[in-house]
Amino acid sequence: MESLLMIGLLAALGAIAITVAFMSDLLVVAMLSGIFSFTCCALFVLFDAPDVAFTEACVGAGVSTVLTIAAIRLVGRHEKRGGRRASVVGLVVATVCGLALVYGTLELPRFGDPASPASTHVAPHYIEESKGEIGIPNIVTSVLGSYRGYDTMGETVVVFTAALGVLILLGGAQSRPLGRGEAPARRDRDVILRTVATLFIPMTLFLAPYVQFHGAYSPGGGFQAGAILGGALILYGLVFGIDALNKMVPERILRVIAALGVLLYGGTGVVTMLMGHAFLDYYAFGAGPSGQAIGLTAIELGVFMTVTCVMTLLFQRFAIRGVM
Amino acid sequence: MLYAAAIAIFATFALALIRAFAGPTVFDRVLALNVIGTKTILLIAVLGFATDRYDFIDIALVYAVLNLIGTVAVLRYLIGDKESA
Repeated sequence: MESLLMIGLLAALGAIAITVAFMSDLLVVAMLSGIFSFTCCALFVLFDAPDVAFTEACVGAGVSTVLTIAAIRLVGRHEKRGGRRASVVGLVVATVCGLALVYGTLELPRFGDPASPASTHVAPHYIEESKGEIGIPNIVTSVLGSYRGYDTMGETVVVFTAALGVLILLGGAQSRPLGRGEAPARRDRDVILRTVATLFIPMTLFLAPYVQFHGAYSPGGGFQAGAILGGALILYGLVFGIDALNKMVPERILRVIAALGVLLYGGTGVVTMLMGHAFLDYYAFGAGPSGQAIGLTAIELGVFMTVTCVMTLLFQRFAIRGVM
Repeated sequence: MLYAAAIAIFATFALALIRAFAGPTVFDRVLALNVIGTKTILLIAVLGFATDRYDFIDIALVYAVLNLIGTVAVLRYLIGDKESA
């Protein structure tokens, strides 16, 4: 029965991808990408990968669609069609790349093969030992935060770099003067949306710390919690206007906190080194799970700070430029 | 029983997907986006109970809270379009 659902969802993914290729209205493409993300998330759940599904849900449900639409605001809604020649070249390149990728998958081990390198290398160690070594039941959090903490630091830096890139491209330091108050007519028109948002945003604000601190037991962690809180702030900006959002969380504060998050992560690693251990070896803070708990809490907080601020910052930048 | 529910939810998911493809107006597609979001919430919740993985409900919860944002963003865009035109 599950395989039937999998086939259905995979077919839906294929259909969405093909439709996107034929659409020239970028707003529709943005919406179809949102649907693609929903379908992917359902598939991840079916494949029993709740942590991946959770991340897809946090980023795909709100933030990515909003940022795509904000970008469309800047570049225009309709795709400019190239000549016939350009599309033929594109088709050839896409076909060759696709065939090369399919050829590459022929060498991969079969799905779920117990003898594959992925199942025989370090995975058994994580599954059998992580509970005793790290002290938390969610293996994914143990791997991301502790065993492969260095990689996660790289990912946090990538998120931060994305914010830097947008800030440099879209105007950087000087923002438009605030105080472009909304017309009263608009306020009356959005009464349903405002009422719903007033009820919704506090609930979202509660969900973010739950996801942050429950990440040791269930899917979640700093990245997902950051995306949820960022989503809540973006919703606030969408409903009550970008000026209200700017007043609540000024851009300069977001920039500082985003940088502090990366600093907290990297600083944790430097502190462990100064205490005579390897970079990001949390046993420096205490033997066994107690030291791991201190280290994991610190780095997850760093990720949370960076992701929340970067998500909000990107939206603010796009919205100020595009007048959303 | 729960799997029958999952199949039924997938059927409505597919119908909404057809509406998203066919359009014809952008509002049909916004509605389809929202319906598919809701169906995904239900599908994940049902699958969680069918396989006794109650932590799946967290994923459904995140969708329930954040699903609104994409729809609001699309509609905001369209309002802005109308006002500037």
